[in-house]
Amino acid sequence: MISESAAGAVSAAPAAASARRRAKRRATWRRRGVVLLFLSPWIVGFSVFFGYPLVMSAYLSFTTYDLLSSPQWVGLGNYRYLFKDDPEIWTAVKNTLWLVAVLVPLQVLFAFGVATMLARAKTGVGFFRTVFYLPALVPPVAATLGFVYILNPATGPVNTILDKLGIEGPLWFNDPGWSKPSLTLLGIWGIGNTMVIFLAAILDVPRHLAESAELDGAGPFRRMRWVTLPTISPVILFSVVIGVIAAMQYFTQAYVAAAVAAGQASQAGSVSTLELGYPEGSTMFYPILLYYNGFRFFQMGYASAMAMLMLGVAFLLTLLIVGQSRRWVHYQGAAR
Amino acid sequence: MSATAAAPGVRRKPPPAVRRRRFLVAVADHSLLIAAAALFLVPVVFIVLTSLMTTKQALSPRLWPEPFAWGNFVDVFETAPLWRWAFNSFLYASLGTLGLLVSSIPVAYAFSRLRWRGRDAVFLIVLVALMLPPQVTVVPLYVMWAKLDLVGSLWPLIVPNWFGDAFAIFLLRQFFLTIPQEYIDAARVDGCGEFRILVTVVLRLAKPAIAAVALFSILYTWNDFFLPLLYLSDNPDNWVASIGLSQFRSLHQVQWNLVMAATLLVMLPVIILFFLAQKAFVQGVTLTGVKG
Amino acid sequence: MRRVTTAVVLSAAAVLALVLAGVASSSKPSAKAPAGGTKASATTLTVWVGWSARELKEFKKVVAEYDKKNSDVDIKVVGSINDDKIVASLRAGQTADVISSFTSQNVGVFCKRGAWADLKPYLDKDNVDLNQFPASTRQYTEYKGYRCALPLLADVYGFYYNKKLLAAAGLKGPPKTFAQLAQYAKKLTKRKANGSLDVVGYVPTFGFYQNTAGAYQPLVGAKYFDGSGKSALGKDANWQKLLKWQKGLIDWYGHGKLVKWQAGAGDEFSASHAFERGKLAMMMDGEWRVAFIAAEHPELQYATAPMPVMGAGTYGSGYINGTIIGIPERGKNRDEAWKLVKYLTTNDHALATFSNGIRNVPSTRTSARSKELKPDKNFAVFTKIFTHPKSATIPITPLGAAHLDTFQSFLAKWQSGKVSDLAGGLNKVDEQIDAKMKRAGGGPP
Repeated sequence: MISESAAGAVSAAPAAASARRRAKRRATWRRRGVVLLFLSPWIVGFSVFFGYPLVMSAYLSFTTYDLLSSPQWVGLGNYRYLFKDDPEIWTAVKNTLWLVAVLVPLQVLFAFGVATMLARAKTGVGFFRTVFYLPALVPPVAATLGFVYILNPATGPVNTILDKLGIEGPLWFNDPGWSKPSLTLLGIWGIGNTMVIFLAAILDVPRHLAESAELDGAGPFRRMRWVTLPTISPVILFSVVIGVIAAMQYFTQAYVAAAVAAGQASQAGSVSTLELGYPEGSTMFYPILLYYNGFRFFQMGYASAMAMLMLGVAFLLTLLIVGQSRRWVHYQGAAR
Repeated sequence: MSATAAAPGVRRKPPPAVRRRRFLVAVADHSLLIAAAALFLVPVVFIVLTSLMTTKQALSPRLWPEPFAWGNFVDVFETAPLWRWAFNSFLYASLGTLGLLVSSIPVAYAFSRLRWRGRDAVFLIVLVALMLPPQVTVVPLYVMWAKLDLVGSLWPLIVPNWFGDAFAIFLLRQFFLTIPQEYIDAARVDGCGEFRILVTVVLRLAKPAIAAVALFSILYTWNDFFLPLLYLSDNPDNWVASIGLSQFRSLHQVQWNLVMAATLLVMLPVIILFFLAQKAFVQGVTLTGVKG
Repeated sequence: MRRVTTAVVLSAAAVLALVLAGVASSSKPSAKAPAGGTKASATTLTVWVGWSARELKEFKKVVAEYDKKNSDVDIKVVGSINDDKIVASLRAGQTADVISSFTSQNVGVFCKRGAWADLKPYLDKDNVDLNQFPASTRQYTEYKGYRCALPLLADVYGFYYNKKLLAAAGLKGPPKTFAQLAQYAKKLTKRKANGSLDVVGYVPTFGFYQNTAGAYQPLVGAKYFDGSGKSALGKDANWQKLLKWQKGLIDWYGHGKLVKWQAGAGDEFSASHAFERGKLAMMMDGEWRVAFIAAEHPELQYATAPMPVMGAGTYGSGYINGTIIGIPERGKNRDEAWKLVKYLTTNDHALATFSNGIRNVPSTRTSARSKELKPDKNFAVFTKIFTHPKSATIPITPLGAAHLDTFQSFLAKWQSGKVSDLAGGLNKVDEQIDAKMKRAGGGPP
C-alpha cells in the first residue's frame, strides 16, 4: 500500500519538479537579463573605451602611423628604438620614478602629519581644515601658473623676500636641480584630499585602544606606532596606491610649468624649437614624452609602444605595492 | 583620563606642573598648525595680491600693489573670452557628470545588490581599469574620434562619461553595500522589480554618496587639462577654462596681473560650490578613503 | 508617483536643453559653403595665420582690400595659430581653407599627400613664374619636388645694438667678428651691488629670445648634413668653434646669473622686451623688431647691421626664414583659396603694404623694388642681408624641426657645463638624429 502510494508520489514528482525547474530557469534568465541590462553601460564603455583601445594600442605599437596614411607594419622596430636608440626615454622613466620615490612619500607624510595635528587640535578645527583643503580645489593649471610666477627667480615674491633676508634664492623652475623639488612643493600644497581622508581615519581609531595603551604607560609616539598607524594602515595603503597612480600619469603641472618657465611664446618666434622638459630635460616625464611623440611629432606607432611599456610598469608597480602591503596592513574586524 | 582616586562628581584640577605642560604642548601643537596654515596660505595671498597689481608692477619685484587695480577683473573679460571658456567648461562638467551618474548607478547596484556568478571577479576588472593611466589608451581613441570627425568638439570628452566611470562605480558600490538588506527585501516582497527598487529605495538612501560622486565629477571635469588639450587645441571656440588659462598666458605676453586675475575667476565657481556643499565634500572624501 | 514623473520630465527637458546647447556651440572652423562655389552665394574662406595683435591687424587690412574687390568671397581670419594647431588640424581632418605658418622647416611635414595640396597644377594653370621668388624662399616652400607652399614675406636675422650704450662705453660701430662681439659684450655689461646682472651686453645662451643654433649656422658657415645626408654636427669643426666661443662668454657671466636675469628679461613680444627697455645692449633678432620698436619704444636710439661672423661665415650674410602659406588638401574651397593665396604672394601692392605694416622683407623681386615701400634705414639692412648669396635657411627634413630639438637638448646641457667632451657629445647627437631620420623615413632632399 505504502509502496504503491510512494510509487505514485514518486511518479508524480518528476512532472512537478520539471515544471518547477523550468520556472526556475526562466527566473534565472530573467534575473540575468536584468543584471546585463544594469551592467550594459559599463560593458559598452569597457569594450569601447578600454578593451578596444588597449588592443589597438598593442597593434599600433608594431607600426609606423602618422594618421595621414594607413599604418605600416614595422615589427619590433619601435621597441628596438625605444630600448636602444631613444635619447629621451630613460630621462623620462627616471623622472617619473623620481616622482614615485620622492613626491608620493612626501605627500603621504605631509597629509598624515597635518591630519595628526588637526586631530589633536581643540579650537578652530573647521577653519584650519578649510585652509588645508582649499588648495586641492584649485585647478592644476591655475595652481601651476601661480607657483611659477611666485617662484620666478628674478621678479618673484619668494626670491625677493629671501633676498631681503640676505639669502640668494635658487632658480626654482629654471634650475634643473630645483625644478622637480619645485613641482614637489606644488604637489604638497594640494594634499587636501589625502589629508581629510587621514583625518577621518585617525578620528575613527577606537578610543578604547588608545586609552588602554595610555594606561599601560605608552607615550604619544609609541601610541602612534603601535595603535594609530596599524589601525589606519588600510588608508595609508589607499593613499600610496592613489599617489603612485597619479605620479605615473603626471602631466598637467609639468607641461604648464616647463612651458611658462622657458618663456616660450607659442606664437611667432619662428625658429624657436620647443625645449623638451625644460630645463635640461628635468621635467620630461613619461606621459609628457608620450604626448610629444604621439601628438606633436605624430609618431603614433611609437607612442603606442611607449604606452605598452607604461602599462607593463603600472601593472608591476601596483602588484608590488599591493603584494608588499600584506605584511603591514591590518583590516579591522573580519576580512572583507 | 583624570586620576583614578577622584571623588564622584568632582573633577580634581591636575597639579600646576601638569597643567602648564599640557598648555605648552597645546600651544606647540597649535603653533605648528598655525605655521603650516600660514605657509599654505602664502601662495594664495601672492596670487590675490598680483591680481590687483598693474601690469608693470606685476613684472617688478614689488610685493604690495599700489594702486589697487580692481579694474583688472573687468579687463580680464575684455582680453580673453572668459565667458565662452566658462560656458564650455560648464557644458563639459554638467553633461559629463549627468552621464556619469546615470550610467554608473545601475552598474554599482548590479555589483552590490544583485547576486550573480562571477560578480566579484568582474568587479576586479573594473578596478584594473582604475589603475590604467589614460595615456595608454589615448592614441587609438584619438584616431577613432578623428575618423568620426569629432575632434575639436566637446563630444570626445563628454561621451565616455555616459558609459560608466570606474571610480564612481567603485565608490557607489562601496556605499550601496552598506544599505541594510531589510529595505531591499521588503521592496522585493512588495513585488518591486529591480529597477523600481533602485529608484525608490536605494537612490533615496544613497543621496550623500551620490552627491559626493557628483561633486567629485564636477571638480574633475572642471579642472581637466589633458583631454581638452588633446581634443580641443585646434578649436579655440570650444576651449574650456583650463586650456584657456594656459593659452591666455602666451596670448597676452604675460600680463601676469591679468593671468592671476583670470586664475582667481576660474577658481571661483569651484570654491563657491565647495562652500555650499562642504559637508557633502568632506563626507565624500571620507567615503573614498576610509571605506576603501 | 506623480512627483517622480514630473521630476523625470523636468530633468529630461533640462538634459535635452543642455545637449542642444552643446551641439549648437560645438562649432568647427571649416568653411560652410559647398565645394567649388564660385558664383551664387558668398563663399566663406577661413584663413589661419600665426600673427596676433598689431601684426594681425595689418594682415587683416591687406585681406580686407581683397575682400572688397571680390564680393563673392567672405574672408574670416583667425590669428595666433601655432604649428601644433596646424598639424593637429591636419590629422584631425577638419581644417581651414588657407593656412600660413612661421615655421618654414615644417614644410617637410606639410608637403605630402593628404596634408597641404600640391600647388603645381594651380601655378601651371595661372602661369605663375616661380623665378620671381628668390632662390632661398623657393627652397623652404617645397619638399622633394612637391611644392605645397609659397613664401609670404620673409624673415631675415641681423644685429641690433643700442647706440647710446655703445657710445657711453666708448665703442664705435657694430662688431664684425665674434671675438669683437665678446669684447663689446663684456664692456657693456653692468652688474648690481649684489653681483647679479643689471644690463647685459649680449646674451649668448641658446633658447633665449631668438637665439637658436639655426640662426647662428650661416654666421659660422657650418653644415647640418654631409653629402650623404647624415648629420654632420660633430664632423664640421665650425660648430665646435661656435660652441666654445659661446661657452666662454657664458662662463664669464656665470650661467646661473644669466638664467636669473633671463627670467626677468621681459616677454619677447611685449613692450617689456629687454632690448627695448635698454637692459640688453646688443642682440640678434629678426627684421620685424623694427616695427615693434617703432610702435612700442620710438624713443630708443638703436641701429642695425649684419651679425658678426666667425669661422667660415661671410660678413653681410644671415639666417633666412619666412612665413609660408598654403592650401590644406582637405579644405573645402580650394579654387577660391588659391586665388587669395596668389594675390597675397604675388601682388606687388599687397606685398608692399603688408611689408610696410609688419616690416617683414618682401618675398618677390618686383615687390622688393616697389615704390610703395616706405624707406627705413634700419630696415634696409635686412633687405641687403636677404639678397646676400651666402644667406641660408635650415635644410628641410620630414621631421620638420624635430631634429633640432635633439641638438637643442644637447646644447642646454653644454651651456650649463655638464658636457666635458664636446666633440664626442656632438657625435652622439649625430647618431641620435640619424636614428630619428631613419625612423621617419628619410633625410633631407
